Amino acid sequence: MRWKTVSAIFFLVVLYLIIGATVFKALEQPHETTQKFAILENKLTFLAMHACVNSSELEDLVRQVVSAVRAGVNPSGNVSNQTSLWDISSSFFFAGTVITTIGFGNISPHTEFGRIFCIIYALLGIPLFGFLLAGVGDQLGTIFGKGIAKVEKMIVKWKVSQTKIRVFSTLLFILFGCLIFVALPAVIFKHIEGWSTLESIYFVVITLTTIGFGDFVAGEKGHLIFLSGSESPEYLDYYKPVVWFWILVGLAYFAAVLSMIGDWFRVISKKTKEEVGEFRAHAAEWTANVSAEFKETRRRLSVDIYDKFQRAASIKRKLSSELGINTSINQEMTPGKRTLSANLCEDRDAYTSLTLSLTPVSGGLARNGSLYLNGLSPDYADRREIAIIENLK
Amino acid sequence: MHSAGRSWLLLTGFILFYIIYLLFGALVFSSIERPVEDQLRNDMEALKQEFLNQSCVNAASLERFLVKVLTANKYGVSVLRNSSFTSNWDLTSSMFFANTLVTTVGYGHNTPLSDTGKAFSIAYALIGVPFTMLVLTACVQRLMYPLVVAPVGLLQRSGMEPRPATALHFLLLLVLVVLFFFLAPAAVFSTVEMTWSFLDGVYFCFISLCTIGLGDFVPGTHPTQKYRPLYQVAVMVYLFVGLMMMYLLLRTFHKMADLHGLTTFLQLPRCEESDLDEEREPIVENRSENQTPHYVTEKEASKPLEPGSQPSYNSINKG
Repeated sequence: MRWKTVSAIFFLVVLYLIIGATVFKALEQPHETTQKFAILENKLTFLAMHACVNSSELEDLVRQVVSAVRAGVNPSGNVSNQTSLWDISSSFFFAGTVITTIGFGNISPHTEFGRIFCIIYALLGIPLFGFLLAGVGDQLGTIFGKGIAKVEKMIVKWKVSQTKIRVFSTLLFILFGCLIFVALPAVIFKHIEGWSTLESIYFVVITLTTIGFGDFVAGEKGHLIFLSGSESPEYLDYYKPVVWFWILVGLAYFAAVLSMIGDWFRVISKKTKEEVGEFRAHAAEWTANVSAEFKETRRRLSVDIYDKFQRAASIKRKLSSELGINTSINQEMTPGKRTLSANLCEDRDAYTSLTLSLTPVSGGLARNGSLYLNGLSPDYADRREIAIIENLK
Repeated sequence: MHSAGRSWLLLTGFILFYIIYLLFGALVFSSIERPVEDQLRNDMEALKQEFLNQSCVNAASLERFLVKVLTANKYGVSVLRNSSFTSNWDLTSSMFFANTLVTTVGYGHNTPLSDTGKAFSIAYALIGVPFTMLVLTACVQRLMYPLVVAPVGLLQRSGMEPRPATALHFLLLLVLVVLFFFLAPAAVFSTVEMTWSFLDGVYFCFISLCTIGLGDFVPGTHPTQKYRPLYQVAVMVYLFVGLMMMYLLLRTFHKMADLHGLTTFLQLPRCEESDLDEEREPIVENRSENQTPHYVTEKEASKPLEPGSQPSYNSINKG
């Protein structure tokens, strides 16, 4: 890709980011300010209600509680009935989020050794998952391709064009995939986790594009009971493994969809380039044709003018031969004309040779430039005479 | 039939190995982190008791207060005194958020609160993620020649065989990337951010550049950060360039694996030059065809000629 194209696309991305930033700011900042005021109010009411607590003590407590929650420890309720964030199934889930590069962040390692191990683990695990994803995507593609081929065979009987079939099959792929990997899980999450419809779809999209914010995580409800204020939903034993499996296949589907969208971008840019190229090709063709015609016209014109000159010369000869010496006294002949008439009198046979040698002559004429076409005055004709004589010699 | 059976076998092998790898990781994480977690829990309990003993607050009202504080904190709204003047959604922070969305890093230190924000995030991500991938791939394609193909050619002309030359070049590239995109930025981060150590900086760089983005470390979120907008823009640029280098590394590794026959052995997709390569300017192509090392020209020759690769107007001018 040329640098111009790359930098153009780069500026487009920066523009896209700026647009996103302004929209997010407009949408979220008012909400944030309301939240801020609400929580400040809460703090002040609390301090007012409990006069023995001073502000700095409270802030200290809050700071420690917040960092504890970040580490996954729930400071409310009793210690005994809490599930750990690092039991085997949750650690399994965490390892999965690291390798798939989703990285929710609701759980993260806090020890130094844990972090070092996380780095090494990801270094080996991400390529491994990449290979797996490639394999699964491949199999998914073949399964779907076979289905599409069957559908295409049926549709071909109706004599629809090939492009329409392609478009139709792509749409079918997207629809089908959305149904299985987006809509169905969203409904399940809504039911089990108690999220709203928008929140479920939001979670599905954010997870399957591997963005993974972590504000919503399937299966974390059990740890943060106090936040929801409701009873912990009873997770079936196979809930988390099924979620992991859905992530795997859903990721392959999303990778396929995203690469398809990328292909469309590429096709669009290629088509624009082709159209620009076609336009340039047409312009070049037109220019080439015009210049060829131009040359042809010049050639014909020079032949024409030479013929006319010949005829004029022959008429003059006739007149001079009829009128005898009179013309030679009356008319002032330029030296060129005299020599030419002399030559022409001698060589009547030269006509044929003249016509044969017309092409180099016309080249000579053409070489003298466009002045020839403009200047058909006798002066110019004199110059042409000299040129003709020289060429003939 | 044999190859189809073999590919299924390989796939199941991969899945099994993947599950075992996950289990192994789970065991190790669990054994490292769990004791620390238990300790923290006990500390919290003690803290709470201490607070309740000294003051007139009763447990229930403290619980209620804490619930509200933590819900707010989950979305990045803090109740602490000195954080009330900086917003998480001013222009540069929103741009930083958009960037994490589009590069799929997704820290999660601040997330959309409103429903409209969530809906917009979905649409924005669905368009922005492939777009960014396209840009990154295009940039990497462009960088391949000066950073990979030319040096390997140089090595080959000085007498090395193709395979060792590519391996040596890959190692060199790896060392350079680690130095300039992990160690150096980590040093910068550990000095600019007050609470980060050098290891935290390296951890952050790695987690971000692999687009995992756990979000436990995010630069520029400390409320007393000076020059916050400039800092956030600088981090964004670093993320983008770093991602590009990671892609370049990956692509170089893929090419090397192709050359060494690994990819065909494991029946993985070969590193194909995409259509973008065809659109290089003719003069670059002519030069490079003389200088490209053995394995690249082989690949170029094995590709079928694209029908649109030669612009048609060239033939008119020559005629």
